[in-house]
Amino acid sequence: MIYKVISKKEFTGFVDALVHSNRSFGPKQVATDHRGNAVYQFQPVHSVADIAFDYSATASSAKHFFLPFREELSHFHFHGNDWEQQISYEANPVVLIGLRACDISALNILDDVLLNGHFPSPGYLARRKNSFVIGMDHLPLPDCFCKSMNHHTVTTGFNLFCSDIGDHYYLSINSSKAFNFLREFETREPNYDDNCMLVERRKLIQNGFQTDIDVTALPTILDIEFDSPVWEKWGDKCLNCGTCAMVCPSCYCYSLTESFDTNLNGASREKKLYSCNLVDFAVVAGGHNFRPKNGDRLKYRYYHQHRGFAENASQQICVGCNRCGRACLAGINPKDVINDLRMEKESCMTCVSSSPRKI
Amino acid sequence: MEKTMTHKGVPFERLKIASFDFTCCEGCQLQLANCESSLPDFLGLLDVRNFREISSERYDDYDIALIEGSISRQDEVERLLKIRKQAKILVAYGTCACFGGVNSLKNRHPVEELIDEVYPGMAIETLPVRKISDLVEVDLFIPGCPVDKREVERIVVSLVKGSLVTLPKYPVCVECKAQLTTCLFELGEICLGPVTRAGCNAVCTSGKTPCLGCRGPAEEINMAAFLALVKERGLSLDDLHEKLAFYNAFEPFLNHEA
Amino acid sequence: MHDLRFVIPPQDINREDFASSVPDFNRRSEIMRTDFGYKCMVSNIVRLTEQEKLFQLRIIDPVERALFRFKPGQFLMLEVPGYGDVPISISSSSSNHEFLELCIRKVGHVTSALFSIKEGARVAIRGPFGSAFPMDEMAGHNILLIAGGLGIAPLRAPLYWLNEHRDRFLDVHLLYGAKEPSQLLFTWQFDEWKMINHINLHTIVERADPQWLGKKGMITDLFNDITIATATTYAIVCGPPVMFKIVCSWLDRLGIPMNRMFVSLERRMHCGMGKCCRCMVGSTFTCIDGPVFDYWSVMNLKEAI
Ligand SMILES: Cc1cc2nc3c(=O)[nH]c(=O)nc-3n(C[C@H](O)[C@H](O)[C@H](O)COP(=O)(O)OP(=O)(O)OC[C@H]3O[C@@H](n4cnc5c(N)ncnc54)[C@H](O)[C@@H]3O)c2cc1C
Ligand code: SF4
Ligand code: SF4
Ligand code: SF4
Ligand code: SF4
Ligand code: SF4
Ligand code: FES
Repeated sequence: MIYKVISKKEFTGFVDALVHSNRSFGPKQVATDHRGNAVYQFQPVHSVADIAFDYSATASSAKHFFLPFREELSHFHFHGNDWEQQISYEANPVVLIGLRACDISALNILDDVLLNGHFPSPGYLARRKNSFVIGMDHLPLPDCFCKSMNHHTVTTGFNLFCSDIGDHYYLSINSSKAFNFLREFETREPNYDDNCMLVERRKLIQNGFQTDIDVTALPTILDIEFDSPVWEKWGDKCLNCGTCAMVCPSCYCYSLTESFDTNLNGASREKKLYSCNLVDFAVVAGGHNFRPKNGDRLKYRYYHQHRGFAENASQQICVGCNRCGRACLAGINPKDVINDLRMEKESCMTCVSSSPRKI
Repeated sequence: MEKTMTHKGVPFERLKIASFDFTCCEGCQLQLANCESSLPDFLGLLDVRNFREISSERYDDYDIALIEGSISRQDEVERLLKIRKQAKILVAYGTCACFGGVNSLKNRHPVEELIDEVYPGMAIETLPVRKISDLVEVDLFIPGCPVDKREVERIVVSLVKGSLVTLPKYPVCVECKAQLTTCLFELGEICLGPVTRAGCNAVCTSGKTPCLGCRGPAEEINMAAFLALVKERGLSLDDLHEKLAFYNAFEPFLNHEA
Repeated sequence: MHDLRFVIPPQDINREDFASSVPDFNRRSEIMRTDFGYKCMVSNIVRLTEQEKLFQLRIIDPVERALFRFKPGQFLMLEVPGYGDVPISISSSSSNHEFLELCIRKVGHVTSALFSIKEGARVAIRGPFGSAFPMDEMAGHNILLIAGGLGIAPLRAPLYWLNEHRDRFLDVHLLYGAKEPSQLLFTWQFDEWKMINHINLHTIVERADPQWLGKKGMITDLFNDITIATATTYAIVCGPPVMFKIVCSWLDRLGIPMNRMFVSLERRMHCGMGKCCRCMVGSTFTCIDGPVFDYWSVMNLKEAI
């Protein structure tokens, strides 16, 4: 990693140059909610003026740039008895501006899940390789809990990360591409004061968290509390609407459907992002549902997010952005659910060994 | 037009299809004629026997009958029973046919009052509005007001290929979130998305209009939780009931209220 | 407004990207082709019952066919273009490099499409996927195979193995139950298994017909017919979900060690590659760590059986 400092004005010029020359996305205000708060989303941007650099958090994550909600995986062209299967693993370069540390952490987790397993996903890799990610730090919102998940800082997975130190950004440069682009702009080596400001900034962020979830031994608790009434309690509220998984930066599961073209000369295999909260997630032929109750399904979402799967070394995949909690109409959020679960067995769990957090 | 086409060397029968409209706006039929680019391909799958919006020919030897609209007169009942006898597959086509639709609003007022208002002084015979499945057995439901033409195409292709026809089981929110729409509840409105069957690609909510549930309830919806959240947010229960009743699609769930 | 200095050039993916983790595909030369299948010709279709057919597939490309290997217990994703792909256990011999056999029950969308195709049609397969029965580890022991209904399909590959390497194993018992006599599958192979290879075959049906001379009852009724040397026995159990619990707890009571009992689980699957999460059971995926699990793992996985 190489560190530089750039003035905000110069940085604006840099982003403008990138935005004008590439397909770019950044945070934009899309609405004002009924409480008067701005709602942001990652949207196409065409000039630096479009970007809300001072945004809080986007309602939906940036994962759909890598895992589109809907995509055609392959197309079959029939001729006679035979067919040709056409698959494209090409992606157009995109510049993604203003991702938070948690968003980038989630990408790193997706890298781990989708690229390091038995069967790497070429489509995801193509998009990942063709993205230029500019991260930006921010002061935590009252309900962010990424610090509890140890994802409030990030050291890989981006091209460039900007820490706000007053009139300047403290840049962590993580790719030669970013380094070369920045040569065209005026930057300087960080001096003693800059470093102090960076430490100050980090402390400010560090101490800004108002929500803390105790994740010590959480996987064990999830195992032990598998039959806890807590699941039914929260499950009864759940609408099975899948909203939580759609906005989550690290949910990646999907459904495949195949359909013939209307002219019957071809067929396409389409992938749609899915959610384990949807009623037919685990239904098999014959109609048997392995998880028939709302509570069962909700439990699995927590199981996957907070216990982790063997495939990725039981790593927790939740990064603590609380997007799911904000978006859930039923008011289901990780903090309350996990605290509820903890209450169940708090007194006797204290001696259990440490959490599987990655350090 | 010749009757058989081949696909992968295997001949297939075009679907002998007819469409009948009852009490409705015919918007759903029009929707089919609208499939601009794919219309020729689509028609290639069909042997249209009786279809006002597409062809002027009329025959009575159809296998598949698309029923559009709800039933509100005695002569309609008889016509429908006759169609049921002929059709191998009877499709309730569009929200009116599936649930009663907007027409059902009239069931909330005494019949005489309505006649007086709409056709003053005339002798009009009218029955309470009923959905098709109240009167005859329905083989396939294609909900929507209007129907989604891509979904209709997909279903027709499935019928031609003899594969299973399915509608999404999950609610509209899934598709709504995929378009990065700001949730209408966040804007202080009531939206029926969480309890309504997806498949329309959330056209209403992505245009900032609340979902009124034209596609009917999704599978295993949690109406109790939905009512609770509307209450908790301090939104108007009258507004909610108005919306739930709009297309008459949530009739079985309405006694749920606490 | 494009300034060429700031244009990010597109980048291809290439082999090196995957160098650290080559997928377990036979076709190693084309690692990135995880979404492609091997094209197969359906060379023979045998109707077994009203609901089940046995499909014989032959991989068309001779090189691919020669390279294709699988282990008993593994499954394939069988693709019928236009309809979809479904997980199906391989139920032919793993030493048969000419063709694959799949025993398929007609239950829904894709399987119905399969039932309408004729010999000579083409389908595609991806895989093989999943874990296998540890045949080598089982050598030198008694083997107890227990199948209920279609559970015989995943057991046929290990059965072939046992037949082909009969001298490596001690006593072999197969307990096989079905609803009706007509639903017992592979009856034409019974003699070969029994007479030639001394596999002790015990069958039972729930509802007998007049011609049926065998036993009538549930699979558990067969337990009394056999004596098992628990210390030297490996067991494999396959069948509908309800069967696992009863049979496994019985074996457990008999004293067969948990890590010597194997089951093959079934879950919904869309990818077979640990990506869609549809097949998750407990904290793992059936398609990667399963479908074959030992009973100890099953006990540790929540909701497995
Ligand atoms: C490891 C494994 C081995 C199997 N081996 C065999 C076998 O040898 N013979 C056999 O007849 N069947 C086998 N099955 C079950 C078979 O996969 C299902 O019967 C089949 O998926 C049904 O698909 P469908 O499209 O006909 O049914 P539909 O009900 O229309 O299913 C739609 C989709 O749901 C999924 N799905 C539905 N049911 C199942 C299920 N039970 N398991 C996994 N996915 C499902 C599939 O993705 C399918 O495309 C096996 C399943 C697994 C997991
Ligand atoms: S937890 Fe909330 S957002 Fe998620 S499915 Fe349930 S109701 Fe929807
Ligand atoms: S938590 Fe549920 S919705 Fe999210 S990736 Fe896992 S299975 Fe999918
Ligand atoms: S589970 Fe919720 S808090 Fe965790 S990463 Fe997903 S959206 Fe964020
Ligand atoms: S606007 Fe309606 S459909 Fe969209 S997420 Fe909100 S409730 Fe669901
Ligand atoms: S959003 Fe709701 S009302 Fe609108 S088309 Fe879809 S289901 Fe119908
Ligand atoms: S089948 Fe997709 S994860 Fe197992």
